[in-house]
Amino acid sequence: MTKNNPKTIQEKIAALDELVAWFDSDEFTLETALSKFKEAEELAEEIEKDLSSLKNEIEVVKQKFDQA
Amino acid sequence: MENTINPRLTVSDFVALTNQTLEYAYPSVEVEGEVAGFKVNQGKYVFFDLKDSGASIGCFMTVWQLRQPIEDGMKIIVTATPKLTQWGKFSLTVRALRPSGEGSLKKSFELLKAKLDKEGLFTPERKRLLPVLPQHIAVISSIQAAGYADFIKILGDRWGGLKVDVAQVQVQGTDAPDQIIRALKYFNAQEVLPEIIVIIRGGGSADDLSAFNDELLVREIATSRVPTLVGVGHETDESLADLAADVRAATPSNAAQIIVPDRHEIIRTVRYKAQSVLPRTLQAIEAIHTQVQSNLGRILEAVEDQYQQSDAQLKQLRDVLAQLDPSVVLRRGYALIRGEQTVGSHIEIETHRAIIGAKVEHYDKK
Repeated sequence: MTKNNPKTIQEKIAALDELVAWFDSDEFTLETALSKFKEAEELAEEIEKDLSSLKNEIEVVKQKFDQA
Repeated sequence: MENTINPRLTVSDFVALTNQTLEYAYPSVEVEGEVAGFKVNQGKYVFFDLKDSGASIGCFMTVWQLRQPIEDGMKIIVTATPKLTQWGKFSLTVRALRPSGEGSLKKSFELLKAKLDKEGLFTPERKRLLPVLPQHIAVISSIQAAGYADFIKILGDRWGGLKVDVAQVQVQGTDAPDQIIRALKYFNAQEVLPEIIVIIRGGGSADDLSAFNDELLVREIATSRVPTLVGVGHETDESLADLAADVRAATPSNAAQIIVPDRHEIIRTVRYKAQSVLPRTLQAIEAIHTQVQSNLGRILEAVEDQYQQSDAQLKQLRDVLAQLDPSVVLRRGYALIRGEQTVGSHIEIETHRAIIGAKVEHYDKK
């Protein structure tokens, strides 16, 4: 996720789904298809980058559980 | 004469002194034996004898300390303090007990399972769905355990960006159930609740895993505010904690697989999706190309038709014209006469082969 684009991965995946759906919709026009295709490719790359770079933040809590 | 070497004690003092000595010598002992004469008095006090082939000793505990059901004939291990009662009876005051040996563990498991099942703790209606793509989870486990390491590794391989709070607890032994219960209470009391509480432990013997058949722990899992996922032991192991959890994982690794999707798989899907629009575009281009080709063909066909038609008409006209050509008529043997057609006039006769001068000698009308 970049600072300029605050979308979450799920939102980006949803946006990609929407773009892909456009290609099968009645709104499809060849004139717009190229820019939409580029947009889909860029979004896919961004999602891949986001997914690959994410790390889990693991923290062992300080609380002790060995005594009541 | 009185013996002053040995102290003279009252009976009460002697009992107290004996108990002090016992407490000093054996603050806590573990004794293994077979249960006999098990009974519960007033719904509060539990009495039974622990025996083997050579001896027998009375045991006492409260029902609240009895975390796993027992019955006569079962082999158990008690954690207890030896005590001499005010009636001079030597007994063990039991703090905790656990079944020992496969048969007893199985028996205890079945007894508690039947009891809790009757209360509805394991019914499918109680199960909640785990959130899809959680962002904050809590893990209860021993961080030294292999099962925990597997879980964290698989979780990290599959997904990222998760906040994982880990409670370090014992996952086997007498203290394990209480520690896990405390951790469950801790996470359930947080101001910002985790979305899932995961309890994990790798494989082990039936005795190692018996902590997860503790009645109080099973009840705590069943009443957790936060949805629970339990992954204990191997695929074939079944614990009551598994049955009480909202979701059961076969292993700690499986627990990680249940919580998050595989990022590599998503990347593949995303790539496929982005590429899937290309054939659609090419298909549209192809459709337009085909249409243009088809239209052009029809135009050419129409032009060709028109040309053929015109050509045929022209040919027809040419034929007609050819028939009208005087030389053709002359070739057929006719002659062309020029000049005044009156008697005595000089005329010119043109045949196919010659032009002849002649004089009109007579002229008769037809």
